[in-house]
Amino acid sequence: MSVAKRNNVRVRGSGPRAMVFAHGFGCDQNMWRFVAPEFERDYRTVLFDHVGAGHSDLNAYDPARYSSLQGYADDLLQIGRELRLENAVFVGHSVSAMIGALASLQDPAMFGSLIMVGPSPRYIDDDGYKGGFSAQQIEELLSFLEENHMGWSAQMAPAIMGNPDRPELAEELTNSFCRTDPEIAKAFARVTFMSDNRADLPRISARTLVLQCSEDIIAGQQVGEYVQKQIPRSELVMLNATGHCPNLSAPDEVIAAIRAFV
Amino acid sequence: MHLSDPSHDRDPASVEDLDDLYENAPCGYLSLRPDARIAKANRTLATWVEYEPAEIPGKPMTDLLNVAGGIFFETHVRPLLRMQGFFNEFAIDMVTKAGNRIPVLANAVERRDEAGGLLFTRLTIFRATDRRRFERELLDARAAAEAARQQSEQLRILTEASLRAERETAELREQFIAVLGHDLRNPLASLSAGARMMLRVRSPEEAVKFEAMMQNSVARMAKMIDSVMDFARGRMGGGLTLGQRAFQALEPVLDQVVAELASAHPERAIEAHFDLGTPVHCDAPRIAQLFSNLLGNAITHGAPDAPIRVEGQVRNQSFELSVANAGQPISEKAMERLFQPFYRGEVRPSQQGLGLGLYIASEIAKAHGGTLAVTSVQDETRFTFSMPLAPPAL
Repeated sequence: MSVAKRNNVRVRGSGPRAMVFAHGFGCDQNMWRFVAPEFERDYRTVLFDHVGAGHSDLNAYDPARYSSLQGYADDLLQIGRELRLENAVFVGHSVSAMIGALASLQDPAMFGSLIMVGPSPRYIDDDGYKGGFSAQQIEELLSFLEENHMGWSAQMAPAIMGNPDRPELAEELTNSFCRTDPEIAKAFARVTFMSDNRADLPRISARTLVLQCSEDIIAGQQVGEYVQKQIPRSELVMLNATGHCPNLSAPDEVIAAIRAFV
Repeated sequence: MHLSDPSHDRDPASVEDLDDLYENAPCGYLSLRPDARIAKANRTLATWVEYEPAEIPGKPMTDLLNVAGGIFFETHVRPLLRMQGFFNEFAIDMVTKAGNRIPVLANAVERRDEAGGLLFTRLTIFRATDRRRFERELLDARAAAEAARQQSEQLRILTEASLRAERETAELREQFIAVLGHDLRNPLASLSAGARMMLRVRSPEEAVKFEAMMQNSVARMAKMIDSVMDFARGRMGGGLTLGQRAFQALEPVLDQVVAELASAHPERAIEAHFDLGTPVHCDAPRIAQLFSNLLGNAITHGAPDAPIRVEGQVRNQSFELSVANAGQPISEKAMERLFQPFYRGEVRPSQQGLGLGLYIASEIAKAHGGTLAVTSVQDETRFTFSMPLAPPAL
């Protein structure tokens, strides 16, 4: 199984630099559908699905490898090496902001700039740190996620996994952008919401842009400000967009902020 | 709105009041602005969440959801609506003004302008306390069934393992009895011969000679019995046990072993060099036994014309003892079984022991938290025992 197939890597556009888009917890690379095409004229754009999401190879899902964000960062590094990325722009949404940070710590030459959309280094409150959630609330979330299988069923898995491009399956593919094996979804939620990458932030050497939404219940403004303060060469841009997914709800604002930064 | 038959206009029972249908429908209606704040809610929904209808417009949708529901709304519902325009049959938990949870099921659809821009999002909401509870029970039952399956699988593995262990022990026991019976027969036969010859001695010198021969046989039998006891303790009692362990100066103990074996084999050269300088926390008689087994082994298997080299030293907080002999290297096949009980190399029957020497030596090493390793190349076979000077707790 090649890395490209494992992570459903899609390369488009052309330009001297590459721009890698990484989706966060919940959905897949379609999260970037309103943003990535805008950069295809000037950049080689790279989109991919984390293993366990979208059209990645679910058979490659190894609970041990993906029991920490490092496993996802290792995948990103493998993708980067395969595409010979150097001084690329990394755009990571939500938990992928930290996945990109981990990858850039390991290979600082791969990404010259990091763009973090709604990042959080830790979701659970800690002494003197407000992540926004209590441990108990995160446990509730994990149990609640089971109740929304998004129409996943064992019989459908082969159709979902094997035939992304067959329109006759469109009906069955309802919700497919945000659907995966519920066990994997739960494990990814656990890794995401239990992570703590605060200690990694001060070591990031890449230029970093933090895009902070208004009224984001998942990564609040104080979290975005914390991230900006901890990363040495970073700046923060407040977006008017509300919620956690400005890449979908306010793509123009996100595109403008990325352009201004790179 | 006009109905075609004017006669119905006057009959309130036959005219649907659409405003009333919206406000008091048997389901909740919510309309969200593009920023996910509530534009409008019907009275049914307001009643469910225990707000005055006028309090609701302008609130962020997530204010009406519990934390898990809010995260799901932001990570799944909103993105999916933007991507496919609708999202049906999702479960979510709302909360009342007082903080009570209301499990609901919802459908949502985006109303878009011609360019695809989002105008607002409509949600239809059904209370689903019983259904959600039932689904939760199904999930719990599935989890319980999965746990039970895993438990029985584990039990099966355990049972198989203990059966296998039982079978192995039985096999060992049989081997053990066979080897013991066979090997005790030789010295016993020579004892019996010695006793018969005693009847026919003609001089006291001859008697002394036979007595020494018989003592030799007795010593061999005693050694076999000791080994067998160690083996039985080690194998069947879950590891060899040590006696009192204390900090011991080992050099005299090691010298004694060299002296004993040298006097039994005066024809062999043993070059021993010990440089410890510090006591070792161990069961000294056991270390002597280990060393004696290694040295005896080297004498039996080593080239008779080359010296056996013994070195003992302390390095990096550990005690190291190595015994090296010249001769044919041990074959790779033999290496695999070297430390297993009853393994015997190719030697003359008169020299054969029970095949327990190296097994017991390695058990003694393990009991001391140490290791017994072997390297065998052309012209040199070397056994190296190594153990920490002191147990980790000290």
